[in-house]
Amino acid sequence: MINTKNLIKIFRTDEVETTALNNVNLEINTGEFVAIMGPSGCGKSTLLNIIGLLDNPSEGELHFNGFRVEKYTERQRTNLRKENIGFVFQSFNLIDELTVFENVELPLLYLKVSGAERKRRVNEALERMNIAHRAKHFPQQLSGGQQQRVAIARAVISNPKLILADEPTGNLDSANGEEVMNLLTQLNEEGTTIVMVTHSPSDADRSHRIIQLFDGHVVTENMRQKL
Amino acid sequence: MLKILLNTVLRSLYRQKAYSLMNIMGLATGVTCTLLILIWVEYETGFDKFHEEIDHIYSVYENQNYADGDVFSVYSTPAPLAESIKKSFPEIKYATRLVTTLGQLVLSVGDKSYVEDGGKIVDDDFFSIFSFPILKGEKKHPFQEENSIVLTEKLAQKMFGESNPIGRMVELNSKFRCKVVSVIQNPPANSSVSFDFILPFQFFEKLWDYDLNDWQANTFHTFIKVEKGVASDKLALQLQTYIKDRVPNSNVELALQAFVEYHLYAINANKAGPIWYVRVFLIIAVLILLIACFNYMNLATARSERRAKEVAIRKVVGAQRNGLVGLFLGESIFFALISLGIAIVLVELLLPVFSELTDRNLALGINNIKFLLSVSGIVIITGIISGSYPALFLSSFLPIQVIRGVSRKDSALLRKVLVIIQFSMSIALFVCSGIIYQQLNFLQQSDVGYNRNDLIYIEMSDDFNVIYPKLKRELIKIPGIYWVTAANQMPVNFTNSTWDVGWPGKTENSEDILFQLSFVDYDFIETFEMDVIQGRGFSRLQGEDSLKFIINESAAEKMNMVNTIGEPLRIWNYSGEVIGIVKDFNFRSLQVGVEPLIMMRNPDTFKYIGIRIGEDVEPTLNKIRAVWDTTVPDVPFTYRFLEEDFKYFYTAESRMSKIFVSFTLIAFVISCLGLFGLVSFVTERKSREMALRKVFGASMDTVFQLLLKEFFKWVLFSNAVAWVLSYFVMEWWLKGFAYRIDIGIGIFILAGFVSLLITFVTVYQQIWRLALKTPAHVLKYE
Repeated sequence: MINTKNLIKIFRTDEVETTALNNVNLEINTGEFVAIMGPSGCGKSTLLNIIGLLDNPSEGELHFNGFRVEKYTERQRTNLRKENIGFVFQSFNLIDELTVFENVELPLLYLKVSGAERKRRVNEALERMNIAHRAKHFPQQLSGGQQQRVAIARAVISNPKLILADEPTGNLDSANGEEVMNLLTQLNEEGTTIVMVTHSPSDADRSHRIIQLFDGHVVTENMRQKL
Repeated sequence: MLKILLNTVLRSLYRQKAYSLMNIMGLATGVTCTLLILIWVEYETGFDKFHEEIDHIYSVYENQNYADGDVFSVYSTPAPLAESIKKSFPEIKYATRLVTTLGQLVLSVGDKSYVEDGGKIVDDDFFSIFSFPILKGEKKHPFQEENSIVLTEKLAQKMFGESNPIGRMVELNSKFRCKVVSVIQNPPANSSVSFDFILPFQFFEKLWDYDLNDWQANTFHTFIKVEKGVASDKLALQLQTYIKDRVPNSNVELALQAFVEYHLYAINANKAGPIWYVRVFLIIAVLILLIACFNYMNLATARSERRAKEVAIRKVVGAQRNGLVGLFLGESIFFALISLGIAIVLVELLLPVFSELTDRNLALGINNIKFLLSVSGIVIITGIISGSYPALFLSSFLPIQVIRGVSRKDSALLRKVLVIIQFSMSIALFVCSGIIYQQLNFLQQSDVGYNRNDLIYIEMSDDFNVIYPKLKRELIKIPGIYWVTAANQMPVNFTNSTWDVGWPGKTENSEDILFQLSFVDYDFIETFEMDVIQGRGFSRLQGEDSLKFIINESAAEKMNMVNTIGEPLRIWNYSGEVIGIVKDFNFRSLQVGVEPLIMMRNPDTFKYIGIRIGEDVEPTLNKIRAVWDTTVPDVPFTYRFLEEDFKYFYTAESRMSKIFVSFTLIAFVISCLGLFGLVSFVTERKSREMALRKVFGASMDTVFQLLLKEFFKWVLFSNAVAWVLSYFVMEWWLKGFAYRIDIGIGIFILAGFVSLLITFVTVYQQIWRLALKTPAHVLKYE
């Protein structure tokens, strides 16, 4: 599904150049659950953002579903993203002005799904995340765990082939973290490819494969036994 | 999608009440001002438009050319003109003369008398040219008989009550009897031609001894209505030499003014006419609306930090940039709509005050389609202008930048520029209104060359020469009265003039000097306390003084007289000698300089009695009234103060200056909202820098001063821009006055001080709060 060849990402300011990713070669297959680990500043989130088409690499190739996408325009990337990729962030990133229902509904609006269909799918997703009773609440009225469940509902609402999770349990206590990881695992079992950045070894244990990054390089790739 | 959009906007509006309130009030104030100005402009530009086929109506006026290259344009035209051109040019369908100032006439019905000054004298074509609906009586040609009168509804009601006035007789000045032939609808307030009653032209001959075949005298306004499809420029060209063809030496050329332009445009090439005010206020409307839009931009982009996350999320889940631009534009248009709602309420509340200020009966044209369309246009344009920059700026955020927390290319510079423009505009308005105020004050206070205080005058409608000597004899006995005189006009506005003047040494070149003329009685110079430089004033002690002239300094200079006193002088057929030179005094608006003036004694033309009274005004007036009532028992006593007339000259200007000042204040208030928005943004941005400064030893005072200095810097820069701008605009405006102030530095310093004070008051609380913040608290949440 995802293939990178000699991926390089360099951040430039006026005087300083920082290489965030250096010759990263990766292959992530459909249906895989991959965890990316490594110390702070090693390039995990940068890699995730490039895979998620939120950012462009400085050099190298990025293949998504067989297409070379590293030179896509913002518009092309948006189109590809909204149909194929769901995101889960550490800080949930829900829109404060929208209710739980509306936050989850948002991706469907951009996919021009009909009103009735949206309602059905959002309710279904909320039921599944066990948060339906909070549909009319605003994000600030929810606990962290509940907010992350809403964020996951939003990530899965468009039935994406790939979910990218950037430290999804980073802001949660262990019980809520556990619940979120259960949900992600379940999604993966149902066929969704998941790429997750994490600091937590126990979360990483849920994955099929762990990619270790250090200073922008892939240092190891451990296949988990479950695979 | 629209529902979600609306929900988002409403919720964010509710959540950030202070911000929303500032934003909406800023826009609402701007829209209110613009609406008020537009209502006024609509009224002014709508003048006379109720006449059907107004495009076919023209005013014929004179351009008088003088030796020094001056062109003097007047509406006054010769008496035979209207009929003559109607005969000569088949394309002229109708032509009428109009006597605009009839003065006071006494209208009597039975034993009741009414002193009315709203009379006009016209030809019968008047009713075919203009569309003043006739309600009762003869509808098409009211003036088929000489002794006819047309009354307005209002006057008919006043004189005849509910009974039918048609066919009833009205007595004029107790001399002429005329029959009410028609009742005409009261002319609307936005009509240039207004009247209470109309008399046929034959009355002009009856009331005044006037040669109606004289092509050289000019007293009457002439209006024509042309056939459909007539090219006015071609007709104007044919008319140009019409008078010259009849009076070989004439300096007069005729010209046409479309009646549509009669109210707003001056016929003098070097004068702008009231259209000047319309344009100035339209500019002010645009400026205020722009200030309000800038305000919105400022406040909206200042909140960009808060909106960044929303933009990023929307983009992550699939929003395209143009969709987001639409979202933000929709938001600003929504804000503009709310502002419009508030503005309409405010306009309704303010209209009575504004109507009084403008002396117009203004109304919000809710059922006027054109007006509604323009209002909708304004709202949409306001929304788009205000939303344009925030929309482009906010929608340009890349999700990755927000997620990574990278600070984006910041809009601070643009925001500073916006605030500087806002303040420059407000300060410029402030300086301009200050200078306008000073100039008008100067005009009203300035020495006009005579004493206009404690002077009353009485206008007499008839039998002047019978009544006046009796009155004068009695009046002068009253202890509070110092002088009594008579004249054909009062010196606030002399309107008679001639170029037919002869003096020794007159050359070919001096042929075309226009002399103002005034006919005055004995004691005129004394009553008005004018200064005689040489010779003397008219005096009964010197006999009749009938073929004697008094001239002013300017006239003496123009005629280049060496030994002025005793020099022969001729006006028309009157030949006499100069007996005195009076120091130049202003006899017209101070916008015009002093022109050469000749005064002579001609009792037949007297119309006004001027009385110099002492300080005990009320008792003196009561005594005058008593004398009047015994001498002229059948005419009610009316009088005016000369000072009031003088002030009346500047009412238009002083009214405009009041409106100007009001809008300046409003512009300042909106600009302050903009500044407030900028301060909130800067303090939010600078909190880290200030916290760090404090960690490393800066005191609260230093931090406070540092921030204040930055704002003061911008305001001072705005001042510099505004000063230059307003200086040039005002210099240009002042050029239109013969008597004017020199622009002093005071008003600029005042503007600077006021703007800094306002800035201080606006920013004080916010930056002090920032200066007080505990560094640990700020840095913790970094």
